[in-house]
Amino acid sequence: MKRVYSIATILVIMGIVFGITLALKPAQAAEPIIIKVGTPSPLSGPAGPWGQIGILPSQTWLDLFNKEGGFNVGNKTYNLQSINVDDMNTPEGGAAAAKKLIYEEKVKFIVSHWSWNFPSVSAVANQAKIIYLCRTGNEAVPGGVYDPKKQPYTVFANPSHEQFISDIFAIAEAFPNYKRIGINDSTLGKGIGWDYVDRELDKAKIRYHHEWYPPGTQDFAPYITRYNEAGCDIIYGAGDVMAAMLITKQRWEMGFKSWKTGTSGGILDPMMYIGVSGMEASQGFMGQYFANWDFKKTKVDPKKIKRCQEVMDVVSKKQGKPFTYTAWIGWFPHHIEILVQAMQRAGTVDDPDAIMKAIRGGTFDTTIGKFTFSGAKTYGSPIVFGTPGCMSQIKGDKEVYLSEHPLTNLP
Amino acid sequence: MMLFIDYKNIIPKVVTGLLILVIVLVPMITTNVATLSMLILSGLLAIAVMGFTLVLRTGQFSLGQSAFLAIGGYTSAILTVKLSLPFWPSFLVAGILSGIVALLVGMVVLRVGNIYFSIITLALSEIVRIIAQQWEPVTRGTRGLITSPPPPIFLGRFEINFAASPVPYFYLTVCLVAATGLIFWKLGESRMGRSFAGIALNPVLAEHQGIHLMKYRVIAFTVAGVFTGLAGSLYTHFLSVITPYVFGLWQSIQIMIMSIVGGISSLAGGPILGAVLLYSLGDYLTRLETYGIQPLIFGAAVMLVLIFLPKGTGLVDLWDRFWRKVVWREKEFEFDEVEE
Amino acid sequence: MPPAGIWIDGLIQSCIYMTMAFGMVLVFSILGILNWAHGQFYMFGAIVVYYAITAGGIPFPLSILISGLLMAGLGISVRKLVIDRVKGDLYVGVATISLIFFFEGVASMLFGMQDRGLSTVLPGVINLGSFSISYQKAAVLFFTLVVMVAMYIVLNFTKVGLAIRATAQQPDAASLYGVSVGRLSLIVMGIGCGLAAMAGSIMAPVYAVNPFMGRIPMIMSLLAIVIGGIGSLTGAIAGGLILGFLNSVIAYYLSYLSEVVLFLLVIFILLIRPQGLFGASLK
Repeated sequence: MKRVYSIATILVIMGIVFGITLALKPAQAAEPIIIKVGTPSPLSGPAGPWGQIGILPSQTWLDLFNKEGGFNVGNKTYNLQSINVDDMNTPEGGAAAAKKLIYEEKVKFIVSHWSWNFPSVSAVANQAKIIYLCRTGNEAVPGGVYDPKKQPYTVFANPSHEQFISDIFAIAEAFPNYKRIGINDSTLGKGIGWDYVDRELDKAKIRYHHEWYPPGTQDFAPYITRYNEAGCDIIYGAGDVMAAMLITKQRWEMGFKSWKTGTSGGILDPMMYIGVSGMEASQGFMGQYFANWDFKKTKVDPKKIKRCQEVMDVVSKKQGKPFTYTAWIGWFPHHIEILVQAMQRAGTVDDPDAIMKAIRGGTFDTTIGKFTFSGAKTYGSPIVFGTPGCMSQIKGDKEVYLSEHPLTNLP
Repeated sequence: MMLFIDYKNIIPKVVTGLLILVIVLVPMITTNVATLSMLILSGLLAIAVMGFTLVLRTGQFSLGQSAFLAIGGYTSAILTVKLSLPFWPSFLVAGILSGIVALLVGMVVLRVGNIYFSIITLALSEIVRIIAQQWEPVTRGTRGLITSPPPPIFLGRFEINFAASPVPYFYLTVCLVAATGLIFWKLGESRMGRSFAGIALNPVLAEHQGIHLMKYRVIAFTVAGVFTGLAGSLYTHFLSVITPYVFGLWQSIQIMIMSIVGGISSLAGGPILGAVLLYSLGDYLTRLETYGIQPLIFGAAVMLVLIFLPKGTGLVDLWDRFWRKVVWREKEFEFDEVEE
Repeated sequence: MPPAGIWIDGLIQSCIYMTMAFGMVLVFSILGILNWAHGQFYMFGAIVVYYAITAGGIPFPLSILISGLLMAGLGISVRKLVIDRVKGDLYVGVATISLIFFFEGVASMLFGMQDRGLSTVLPGVINLGSFSISYQKAAVLFFTLVVMVAMYIVLNFTKVGLAIRATAQQPDAASLYGVSVGRLSLIVMGIGCGLAAMAGSIMAPVYAVNPFMGRIPMIMSLLAIVIGGIGSLTGAIAGGLILGFLNSVIAYYLSYLSEVVLFLLVIFILLIRPQGLFGASLK
């Protein structure tokens, strides 16, 4: 009898355990793990509007990304959260923002846009072994501050000097009978970055002329006179947007109405430019245009196009007026997709070395098309590429596609 | 027994000492990198502010302190990065070079009157910036230089590693601030220091009494330059980067504000208080989400402090008054005030 | 010889520097302090005009007057609420500097940080052969002329002007003669700030309006005063003229080096002749 009882007890216990396991399994739909991504950008001060306008579309894009399932590595699901911190567009602000993000907010990655803070943010991030993806300027060009040995966790998804080159190519292709392109930049940007750009422009036989102005200049009459004497009929503003708007206005007032003008950087809102320069003077004003639904020479995955368009709709509704700024598409979402795809390939979210290995030289498919990281010879490590140079122009009070120079790989 | 101890004098000093002990022990309370960074940077700025106050003692407004921060920073950056010299000698050379520049500039410019000296020193900050920007082969222009922290120091088997965490750097800063504070305080109390005050109050009388104005002004300016240069060097190595725009005109103005709000009557306490309080206020404000509100609150805070402070005092003097009026309940002894 | 356009351009620049410097010197000679926030009144003047025109539909000339009056009022309140309550020249200086931050913050919150233009005001260009000048810039010239003439008349031919000049030279003697120095200094503060605001208003369509537009005009008017001599009204005008022309001409020949050259020039002048062109020798 005792034996029967023991066997029965064992069977009952096994049954209960089995039952519990069955009951628990379906309830184990795991909550997605949240990975934080830090985004330092200028949110106050004169550069503030450019940092601020990117926040809403980027967050909306992330919300959609997370809603559609986030991403999986191994058998875990992850969602992303972005933490915005003001970096005040200064090296100290950048270092302070990076420290806050890494040590207080415990972000896993830093994704940024602007270039003045590249050296300090990169230094802080590399020290903490945090991967840092950014768009950079002067500092990253060959011979610049970037050193693959000292900064193994830094990736430039699009250095601005490559951007200038693609933009200028796109402009030259749009107006093949141009006489000379005037390149307008403030002394803040003066450096070997432009030597590098000049070499590339010379190779492609582009005719250009540089002018440098002290930051804060508002009166461009002397510079416009100099451009005229150099025979320019297109002025590309690589410095601050105010300079581009004022040159547009002043060249019109000085009688050079046939000149085309434009800026590097997306057009925040055509009405802003029209408001400063005047409706007539701003017609034809060019800016960066990353509306992937209008791309003619670059193929983008239709799903990504759809998501970007959805973001534009959501943001338009949220702010109560049409949202037309498209440059965000080439920055935040595309950086995030690189990170996500790299994590998936490396099979880990925690090992920065493995993730970097997947990034170097890898091919990725993002909101601005497919590309391969290149630049092994130029930068000592294949962690760079450029974006397509896609320019728009102002027609009436809207922005329309003008021309496109597709992405080329760096040596 | 109590009658024989000057307790009114000793107790505030003891309390001050305890507070200083608490500050030194801060890294025990928090190892938050962001907080420590903020304290380090404000401490280094405090040294520049002490320099400003020292020069102010001789009656001159040096709005060029950030120029010396820049000179110190760039010197040590160039020496360590481009010439691969070791850190500590570069650090000292940075201070010495700053001092030499201060000496040369001071000898030429201190002859000129008050407001012109201020404007020229203000222009000095900009000139240093422009030189840093244009002298590409040496300073790499706008791109700047990337510096590294001091190399680890070995004391027996105990290693001080500056790269691993900001704590060693914090103590290094505390040492430099303490050293500068002590030296400046001693200077202020010394015979020469008290002549400084005389020069400030009444230059004509001072000259008649045989005090050689220029000599003392130049000395004050140079000493301020040396220590500010040292602070600039540490600042650069902590920030890991120096560009022409790190130290600029507006920073010189900030330094002046920190000195005055902190209290110009004190050569060490006032500047430290002003620098740390205002810097942390600025830092704290950057966490607010509405972006226009930061300069608004900062400006309003400084104005309110100035409105409510009694004439001629700064925050550091509140400490004194607190003990006198609140604790000991002394009656305020009003001097006849001379109109300026 | 730079082309005619550069000279005209320089003239326009000088107009603004002159007006700002004039206001600054007025305030300095009566109050004895440099109002570091002078540029902020320029900025507010432009913002008031922006709202007057876009939201209120008020015609431009009237908007300029309104902004001048409003900012004169603001100047007087700043004087009463802040400057009078802070004791000591040193502290007043710091207070006006913190006003810069305070006002920029207020403007950022009300106006936003984006640049907004007023290109629809006085559009069009006057063609004068080898160069052309926009109506907006011509308006600046006209405005400055009117202001300078008005100031001349007020200072030399009215009682108030006489009182101002007397107080600037000898406040104690003036009060003995029955001038209410306190009230007069309030009036002068109002005029000085009103001038800055109107300068900002007339310039609003020429460039763009944003909360930070006051910084550079403030520095420029400071340089103009230094060149012309700190206490002197004629100096302010002369300094403004010289600075404006120098700026344009040097920029034409040397583009970005104009910054360096201007600074070196100012230092040079300060070392050789610290009192500027027209200033009295300071102790």
